[in-house]
Amino acid sequence: MTEIFQSLPIYVALLAALLNLVRRQWTLNLIALVVQFACLFPILLKIVPLQLALIQPFTGLMVTLILYLTLLGVGGIKAIDLRQSLTSGEIFRGLAGIFLLATLQIFLPQFQQAVFPFISSDHLFLSLGLILIGLMQLGTIREPFYLVIGLLTFLSGFELLYSALEFSYLLEAQLVAVNLLLAIVGAFFIVKNAESEST
Amino acid sequence: MNNTVIIWLLLPILLGLGLVTIQRLPKLSALLGSLFPLVLAVLALIYSKGLTLNVLGRYFTLTDNLVFFGRATQITADQLGIIALLYFLCFAWNVMSGLFNVGRWFNSLTLIITALWASVQVITPFLYSAVVVELIALVSVPLLSPRGTPAKSGIIRFLSMQTIAMPLILLSGWMVTGIETSPSAEALVLRGSLLVIAGFSLWAGIFPLHSWLPMLTEESHPWTIGFLQTIMQISLAIFFLKFLNQYAWLRNLEEIKLVLKWIGALCIVSAGVLSVFQKKLSRVFGYLFLSGTGYIVLSMAFQQQGWLNLFTQYLLPRIFAYWSLGYTLSLLREAIGSEQLNFSELKGLIWRYPLSSILLLASLLNIIGMPLFSLFPSNRILLSILASESMPFRLFVSLGLIGMVLMVLKVLGVVIQAPEDVDQDKKERTLMIIPVVLIILVMVLGGIFPQFFTAPVQDLLISFQNLLN
Repeated sequence: MTEIFQSLPIYVALLAALLNLVRRQWTLNLIALVVQFACLFPILLKIVPLQLALIQPFTGLMVTLILYLTLLGVGGIKAIDLRQSLTSGEIFRGLAGIFLLATLQIFLPQFQQAVFPFISSDHLFLSLGLILIGLMQLGTIREPFYLVIGLLTFLSGFELLYSALEFSYLLEAQLVAVNLLLAIVGAFFIVKNAESEST
Repeated sequence: MNNTVIIWLLLPILLGLGLVTIQRLPKLSALLGSLFPLVLAVLALIYSKGLTLNVLGRYFTLTDNLVFFGRATQITADQLGIIALLYFLCFAWNVMSGLFNVGRWFNSLTLIITALWASVQVITPFLYSAVVVELIALVSVPLLSPRGTPAKSGIIRFLSMQTIAMPLILLSGWMVTGIETSPSAEALVLRGSLLVIAGFSLWAGIFPLHSWLPMLTEESHPWTIGFLQTIMQISLAIFFLKFLNQYAWLRNLEEIKLVLKWIGALCIVSAGVLSVFQKKLSRVFGYLFLSGTGYIVLSMAFQQQGWLNLFTQYLLPRIFAYWSLGYTLSLLREAIGSEQLNFSELKGLIWRYPLSSILLLASLLNIIGMPLFSLFPSNRILLSILASESMPFRLFVSLGLIGMVLMVLKVLGVVIQAPEDVDQDKKERTLMIIPVVLIILVMVLGGIFPQFFTAPVQDLLISFQNLLN
């Protein structure tokens, strides 16, 4: 029971990332992004002190807030329609994402032993899962908002992985700056697209 | 203020942010945007001999170390040559920016980007510079994709590639930690090298990961993309040399030179062949950057004594070639009102814009390294070294060169073609002859007297002691 409870954040985070990969509803995507970042906290808490474990989830919240306020400004926030049926593209992306995660799960022990023997398998599964889903998001979309979500997912996976390898205040500060700038770039793209659609 | 890190990294970023506040005054912004990097470049050149300056018996001494988030960042006198080059590059682009419609952010962001590229060369540990490269890509977005147009594919791919590259570089450093004591060092070296090569390939847009490059040159103003790509190409090349200088395992790897030769040759042949089939000069500009990357990579690989001689010879002529072609394309873009410079819009250009047309042809001949022009001397050395290499390299580089010559002939054919229904009157001011003659003169002087370009950068890379031996 304890094991399941401990693994819960990992599966919730991956589910949120999958939701962002599959669904194209901005409000839903922002909520999923917050959940994804929040679920990193218990995982990070296992390897770094509380103050440091808070950095990444807190940055994620800031990033989501920037995107939310921008979408609010351009009228992009709408009520979530859960009954909206899945399109063939969404089904494809969902299945491809699940296939990627399943493949990762199968090859994880060998990969862990060969490359990252000091990282726990749960930690490695979540970080590599986020990296793969982020990459897939980057490869399947053109809309800037989803590009930013893909990049944030990819980076959060990498940051999680790297936090288990080494910790540096300078690097952490740089990565926070990258995340915040990425959100600002996303906001810039959203506003630009809204402007060019309205003209 | 008497610290090199504050003067050449933090101050320019603050000045760049200051310029943001006066972006509604474009002339003042362009003036200050040119003045600041010029002063910084000249100061860097003066202090590159030593960090103590004697002016009329008064000594001005700079310290070279600043602790930042628990890590010491250092800019020594040896590194100031590289920093001077970067700020000089920034000055060269900003000083002419007032002539073109490059957007209000140009002067401020170019100064910030230059400071960030300078920081890439000096941050300790140097692997953390990978994150700064990502920051630069993000800061470049307003320049590459100005407001009023939707975000296009080129910028999206560019951002994706730059982001994917960063973890590869960071992981390479971790991967090879303790390599000296590891029993399976060979496997670790291989993994580390692969990560480094893959990271740099994504960053620089090496063939076949180059698709964003012509897309980006097509979507952006030639003056803007010219600056961003030139400073990126030069800075990344110097950063790669830093990797070679720091990592003995990478430098001593037998296959590294072979890999570099293949990368260079593939870039040159792909750029040459693909440029022949382009219908827009803006895209050709992208392929010229790809070809330039190929020559720079080859110049690093084809070194018989040390790594640096041929590379330093390439630096200034190549920067000047990008600058002059960027200037010409920007002139044409604003003159004929075409964003992408389709070949169909260039028909009969020589009748309407004779001076710009001559400058265009001269700039193209210069950048592909034809005799009499400034890139020829270093290209000639490279080609003579290549003569003793195996057949595939000779064939690839020759094909690339032939492709580029065909592309220039194609442009020539379009430009001198008699126009059909358009007005054939000359539309250029006579005063245009001054910059055109000056630029062509510098190109030719650089070709006849190569030391004109090579002498100023001779000691540029003296901080890379391990590569000089």
